[in-house]
Amino acid sequence: MFFMIQERFIKIRSYIITFLCIITLNFFIPRLMPGDPFTFLSAEEGQIHTTFSYEDIQRYKSYYGLEQSLGRQYINYINNLFRGNLGYSIAYKEEVVTIIKNRMVWTLSLVVAAIFFSSLIGVILGSLSAYKRNTFLDKILYFDLIVLSEIPAFLIALLLLFFFSAHLKLFPLSGGISHFTAFTSFGEKAYDVLHHGTLPLLALILTRTGTFYLLTRNSMIHILEKDYMRTARGKGLKKGRILFLHGLKNAIPPVVTRIFLSLGSILGGAVLVENVFRYPGVGSLMREAVFLRDYPLIQGIFLIMTLLVIVMNYIAEILYKKMDPRVS
Amino acid sequence: MEKQLLKVEALSVSYHDVKTTVDAVRKADFSLEKGSVLGIIGESGSGKTTIAMAIMGLLKKNAAVEGNIYYDDMKINTLSEKEKNSYRWKHIAIVYQNHLDILNPVMSIYDQITEGIRRHRTHSEKEIEKRMKELCRMVKLDEKWLCHYPHQLSGGMRQKVLIAMALCCEPDLLIVDEPTTALDAVTREEIIDLLIQLQKQKKITMLLISHDMYVMKRLSNRVLVMYEGRVLEEGFTKDVLEKPMHTYTRGLLKASLETNPYQDLWGIPGEDIENKEKGCVFYTRCVQSTQYCQSHSPTLQYISLERKVACNRGGIITLLEGKNISKTYSYKNHLTTACKNCHINIRSGEIIALIGQSGSGKTTLATILSGLLKSDTGEVYFEGKAVEGNNFTKIQQGIQIVFQDPFSASNEGFTIEEVIMEPLEILKLGSIEERIMKVKRVLEEVQLPTSQGFLERQCNSLSGGQRQRLAIARSLVMEPKLLIADEISSMLDPSTKANVLRLLKGLQNTRGFAMLYITHDLMLARKIADGVYVMKEGEIIEEGSSSKIFYHPESDYGRELLGREVEKKEIGYQS
Repeated sequence: MFFMIQERFIKIRSYIITFLCIITLNFFIPRLMPGDPFTFLSAEEGQIHTTFSYEDIQRYKSYYGLEQSLGRQYINYINNLFRGNLGYSIAYKEEVVTIIKNRMVWTLSLVVAAIFFSSLIGVILGSLSAYKRNTFLDKILYFDLIVLSEIPAFLIALLLLFFFSAHLKLFPLSGGISHFTAFTSFGEKAYDVLHHGTLPLLALILTRTGTFYLLTRNSMIHILEKDYMRTARGKGLKKGRILFLHGLKNAIPPVVTRIFLSLGSILGGAVLVENVFRYPGVGSLMREAVFLRDYPLIQGIFLIMTLLVIVMNYIAEILYKKMDPRVS
Repeated sequence: MEKQLLKVEALSVSYHDVKTTVDAVRKADFSLEKGSVLGIIGESGSGKTTIAMAIMGLLKKNAAVEGNIYYDDMKINTLSEKEKNSYRWKHIAIVYQNHLDILNPVMSIYDQITEGIRRHRTHSEKEIEKRMKELCRMVKLDEKWLCHYPHQLSGGMRQKVLIAMALCCEPDLLIVDEPTTALDAVTREEIIDLLIQLQKQKKITMLLISHDMYVMKRLSNRVLVMYEGRVLEEGFTKDVLEKPMHTYTRGLLKASLETNPYQDLWGIPGEDIENKEKGCVFYTRCVQSTQYCQSHSPTLQYISLERKVACNRGGIITLLEGKNISKTYSYKNHLTTACKNCHINIRSGEIIALIGQSGSGKTTLATILSGLLKSDTGEVYFEGKAVEGNNFTKIQQGIQIVFQDPFSASNEGFTIEEVIMEPLEILKLGSIEERIMKVKRVLEEVQLPTSQGFLERQCNSLSGGQRQRLAIARSLVMEPKLLIADEISSMLDPSTKANVLRLLKGLQNTRGFAMLYITHDLMLARKIADGVYVMKEGEIIEEGSSSKIFYHPESDYGRELLGREVEKKEIGYQS
């Protein structure tokens, strides 16, 4: 009992340390970049912007508290953070929390759907491949999925965009929803959202499936060789029960863990894909925030994302314990 | 005769790899009557488990099966996977060899046992629960363990779970694979008792696979002895364990602690050879193999009622046979009967101890058997040919004798090299270099130096132990098939005695010669002998296997002799 409490304490402590490191990095990294929120370094994307005079910049800086020393700013940041205040966006003139909340819906639905479909397809194809090991089907699946997973997500996104949107005109070129349109029903709106989301989702699924496929295949091959699989066959059980109950139940824990742990990298992929499709998610927002050196917004986005990853890691850990009685 | 439940005909199983093919089972034939227990015994890799898996239809895809397996007159090895599923577990179930991976680690014990019932019997939860209670009672497993996972169970409990799992659908045929490996003595006993009880109560037909002689003895009625996929011997378990007829079976028994509580353990020497397409599979490790065995594969044949052996020489051959030997010495009209109607049999590769008090006629009998002394009546045959004079002591692969007194056994004036080389010179065997090589090899074998300086030393410069080893070396240079050792250790000190005996036993094991060991030391005889002859006043009054003579002597004299030795030992402990 004492041991368990001690173990839990160590775990909580490590999570706290991780969190502190992250918020510190979160604070300093944006400020290490050249420039500040008021000096535009380039005029990318054809934006119309005003160039502030030196006095203006000084005034704004003192207004946002940016003329203070980094240490002072850091303490302020931490103070606000623990009060639940993520700050106020310099560029958007809005609460950071509100902005992220609005954008997060888009990204999260994209990412969750991508994880769901890519893991589902990966697990099914991986199991099939392991069961039919060394057959033509296995070899074809293996080759194709490995090649796909090695291509960067944004490249696939670009190809999809060129082919399906620009060439075949099957899908819209950009955005998450048609603007300036009055939808007559919820169904119509949902269709429009799905229509916009299909290609970004497809790009993410295509690049992520390989990982889950490979992991399931390896895990399953290893499990199929185990003696308890022969035990199950000896009982005269049906093939489906042997493969899925005896086989997959043993093979799945590492895959599920990976599903949860892969959230970080999928978010990374989503940032790039969103930019290709100008999808109104956090990815696009992040790019804009970095471009504008909107410190509070950058910090807010990174914080929410890292928090998400940490929570997912924690869930993965709990799930693994639930799935494998040998761990707990 | 009961109905044959399982019949295996010319079953061959080979595993194919990318490069190699391994023949795991070669033309095995056997059948199993309803209600009986057939054991399969053999070293690891002899194909025992492969046979079990072939019957269950659980061999891997790279295994090619030939021959027929009939269950209840239905050929089952060619059925489709779906058809096999209808008899697996329901009619034929297996108690797998126990290890952690044999049970699914993420399923509870309850689920793993009940899924067989659900598949083949019933879906009614009430009945399943009832059956589970029954099973737990049967295998004496506490019901609380059912909701646990395999890794939480001890080895013994896991074995019980495996048994309960196999019994869940009340199969007619139960295959039990190594039920006691890795169990402690108490649990092992418990599992064996459990299996015996179940077999008796339920009249289950059992195929028992094990390399444990004790388990075989306790559980099985009949036994198959397997080596490299071939059945080398078959018979009633009691007979086979008491009097093995194949050199391999004897080797297995000698290596088993259960059958040899007092003797040193010796494994079967030698290595497998790769290519065994032709010839006997046991050829390279057999002590009585001939050129013929290298090229001809023996078939399993009856050598007596209910006993089959696959050996080109018809099983372990009788090397020396003495029939009806009598010898009387007369001195000044006073007649002394040294031997009276003695019969003695020595099989190849066997150590026979001839025990008795001083003056009981042991040495006379031994000398007659070697041919050096003529008997009044009776004949001695060595490999079927009559022993007369020195016709077998003067040849290689014949009989050699080592005497009690090492000092008078070799000529003091000879050098060591001369003593050992003498027989080779007389027989003009090989060139001088070859002879010297042989001399050095036997000296090495008896752990004496082989330097030129040592070879040129005079015999009289050696100690008693060294002289005795020299005498052994001299007899070994003739590569005898039978070595008669007459009280060779009685004049040696305990340490030298132990060294000489271990040496001799080791040589006997690797070279495979038979030995007639004459001694009055019963404890020593018990330590080394496979068979024992007890002599008293010129008569052989008792004979039998070592275990029989030392545990259950039949003659009064035997009992007396043993009783006294035991007493002596007890006194030794007290003082």
